[in-house]
Amino acid sequence: MPVIELSMSGLPQSGRVVGIDLGTTNSLVAFMGDDGPEAIRDESGNALVPSIVYYDDNEDRLLVGEEARDRLITEPRKAIYSVKRFMGKGSADIQEDLSLVPFQIAPDSEQVIGFQMGDRVFTPPEISAFILRDLRRRASKFFGEEVTQAVITVPAYFNDAQRQATKDAGHLAGLEVLRIVNEPTAASLAYGIDNRDEAIVAVYDLGGGTFDISILKLKDGIFEVLATNGDTHLGGDDIDNRLISLVLGELEQQGYSGGASDPAMFQGIRKSVIKTKHDLSECDTTQISIDGVEYERELARAEFESLIADLVERTLGPCKQALKDADLDPAQIDEVVMVGGSTRIPFVRKRVKELFKREPHIELNPDEVVALGAAIQADVLAGGRRDLLLLDVTPLSLGIETMGGVVAKIINRNSTIPASASEMFTTWVDNQTGIDVHVLQGEREMVADCRSLAKFTLKGIPPQPAGLPRIEVKFLIDANGILTVSARDHRTGQEHSIEVKPSYGLTDEQIEKMLLDSFEFAEEDLRKRQLVEARNEAETVMRAAEKALAEHATRLISEQERDGISRALDELRQAFGGEDYVLVREKIKALDDASHHLAEIIMDGAVLAALKDRKASEVAEG
Amino acid sequence: MSEAVVNKAQASSGSCSHCGAVLSGEHFCGTCNRIQPVASQTDFFAFIGLPRRLRLDELELEKTFYALSRQFHPDYFMSASEAERQASMERSSMLNDAYRTLRDRVARAQYLLSLEGYKEAEKKAPPDLLEEVFELNMQIEELKAARKMAGEDEIADVVAALETALAGLRTKLAEIDERLFAQFDQWDSVLENDSAATEKKIVLDRMSELLSHRAYIRNLVRDITEVL
Repeated sequence: MPVIELSMSGLPQSGRVVGIDLGTTNSLVAFMGDDGPEAIRDESGNALVPSIVYYDDNEDRLLVGEEARDRLITEPRKAIYSVKRFMGKGSADIQEDLSLVPFQIAPDSEQVIGFQMGDRVFTPPEISAFILRDLRRRASKFFGEEVTQAVITVPAYFNDAQRQATKDAGHLAGLEVLRIVNEPTAASLAYGIDNRDEAIVAVYDLGGGTFDISILKLKDGIFEVLATNGDTHLGGDDIDNRLISLVLGELEQQGYSGGASDPAMFQGIRKSVIKTKHDLSECDTTQISIDGVEYERELARAEFESLIADLVERTLGPCKQALKDADLDPAQIDEVVMVGGSTRIPFVRKRVKELFKREPHIELNPDEVVALGAAIQADVLAGGRRDLLLLDVTPLSLGIETMGGVVAKIINRNSTIPASASEMFTTWVDNQTGIDVHVLQGEREMVADCRSLAKFTLKGIPPQPAGLPRIEVKFLIDANGILTVSARDHRTGQEHSIEVKPSYGLTDEQIEKMLLDSFEFAEEDLRKRQLVEARNEAETVMRAAEKALAEHATRLISEQERDGISRALDELRQAFGGEDYVLVREKIKALDDASHHLAEIIMDGAVLAALKDRKASEVAEG
Repeated sequence: MSEAVVNKAQASSGSCSHCGAVLSGEHFCGTCNRIQPVASQTDFFAFIGLPRRLRLDELELEKTFYALSRQFHPDYFMSASEAERQASMERSSMLNDAYRTLRDRVARAQYLLSLEGYKEAEKKAPPDLLEEVFELNMQIEELKAARKMAGEDEIADVVAALETALAGLRTKLAEIDERLFAQFDQWDSVLENDSAATEKKIVLDRMSELLSHRAYIRNLVRDITEVL
């Protein structure tokens, strides 16, 4: 699929490849500088962009990041956060999440969730694309070049549909996604730990919405993932929800009701408990208070720990499984690296330390380390260096449906990618011309317990007796962890057309349509920005002209010239009230031209006056 | 392993898809240095540049794996032509598949058997275990039934019996592995001496039988662990 170029900035296209961490809570972009990877910051030094998108359908207004976050409490129905939890999911998967967020889900969300925002519906890849576009703009502005290529990170335990949805989001944002990299693997790149010949490293990554554990072997610049495990539904959000439940429960006892169904109040509580959570990483005890509600309570770290103990415990199972899969004891792990904002919680660090019997590394900022690693991988892909090589694995087994709804595994989890498998298919009845294939991902035996990836039909098989055709289907998991399928008829050598229908996710046609949609949207955005800028400039010009006319005109210029300026001023005022930025620009120029002569005279007078003043002051000093 | 060996020992042949130079299955064209697609009949041993021996130095294998990864990986072909990118993907996925198969002793033996024309043998109980297996399956069913209705004592008895059996089966498994790996030396010497086909067949038959016993016992162990 070609990337539609949204060259809005008019900047030259950049050959740079950036690394992007598209997080549940925050996102950021980084690049490879001369002295190593660096995060790109805004004017106030912030690298993190809150992963929040606000959309108002009346004004057709779109905001991303801090500005969107500011509206979570005032206009909670118009902002989407934690969208990462919805990537690659259908409505049946998200019932539990929906009870905790104030989002309205559009009808027809079985295969791809749609968020209803006023009269528009946005899918998770689209919401993510707005965040990515914001980061892309930030990077383009930073370099003064249009950035079009990126490496984007995902949780290691993301399945095929979730990875594909992330790639789609990049595409929608006008980015060519050179690689989807697993977050813990990226973090290990940033840490490097290359000061010794060989090391076994465990990366414990507890973020806003997902948990990953990856075990790597580092040797001679090769970062070989031995095993990975995780839970794509476990993170800081769940910790927040525990605290929210606590507050809501106590409010109910106090006689408040409906806290959960009042989205503004819900967001107020959410904001407040997140602060509480952060505070408790620093102090032993803190206060919870909610704006606009009579509620105050002290919370001690010990009580907080008992509230979240089972959540932290849930991360240890995957750690043990990964160790088992890598055929290692905790004692054989040389280094443990902590990644993700939730690893700031002392209790998390304590439990990890107990499991691996080793003090974990916390030197690098856990919010930024993944993006820094992505920037290193981006540099490798851009051809910048060949000393490093990541060998990652597929987190989940790939299988196909066989008789009786049983899944036959064809690529096992923790296989190094790219990985492939070939299967031979044949017909069951005479003259059968098509064979249905159902591909699944997961560790369980039965189809019903695994995640359906895709269904497709091998078509155009020449009519033959049953069992005679031999169709070889090749399944390939690429370096992004994404599946591609091809088929060949062994008797004729003919390649078969395969139409793979993803079970969850967008079809190519849908993406094409969204690309156009977002293109229009981008145009619209651009038009608005241009109008705002033109109006700002018009205001300045009008004020100056009015002032000049009032103060100097009668003295310095002819009546004819004066009328000319007044006319141009009126015309600009009129254009200012309209929506056409091109017209505003035109009238600014017309007013400029008309008042050019007057401005010159005033300028000359000002220079003279200045000179005169200086002489006077020099005289005074002398 | 030296790179010269790696580059020569390929099974495919033809001409370079880029410059047309005559090739005999090298990873890269000797003339224009471009990566080549994998020929359809290449097996894992040939691909990695190894004879079909079963005893192999795992550290050496890892070294070869890393060295070839550095040559084939798609990361290094991002701006190459579509054909080269495709070839890089094919070669690195085949390398990964080969390494995964060959580094594991049991998978390696199984793979060799398939190359030598053996179908994956049906899981068969070793003859000396037949009676015990019958008994064990009864006990597994008994435990399942007991869990539903019987008292603690009865369950404890069956559990204890199964645990003892499990320990026995694990010993048996280790024994089979030992016998299997002993056949590796047999195979390597048969291969070395270029012995008669009948001698080869004797070794392969033995390994095939051992693997089928092994698979059977492993299933049994899994079933017992599950009910326990």
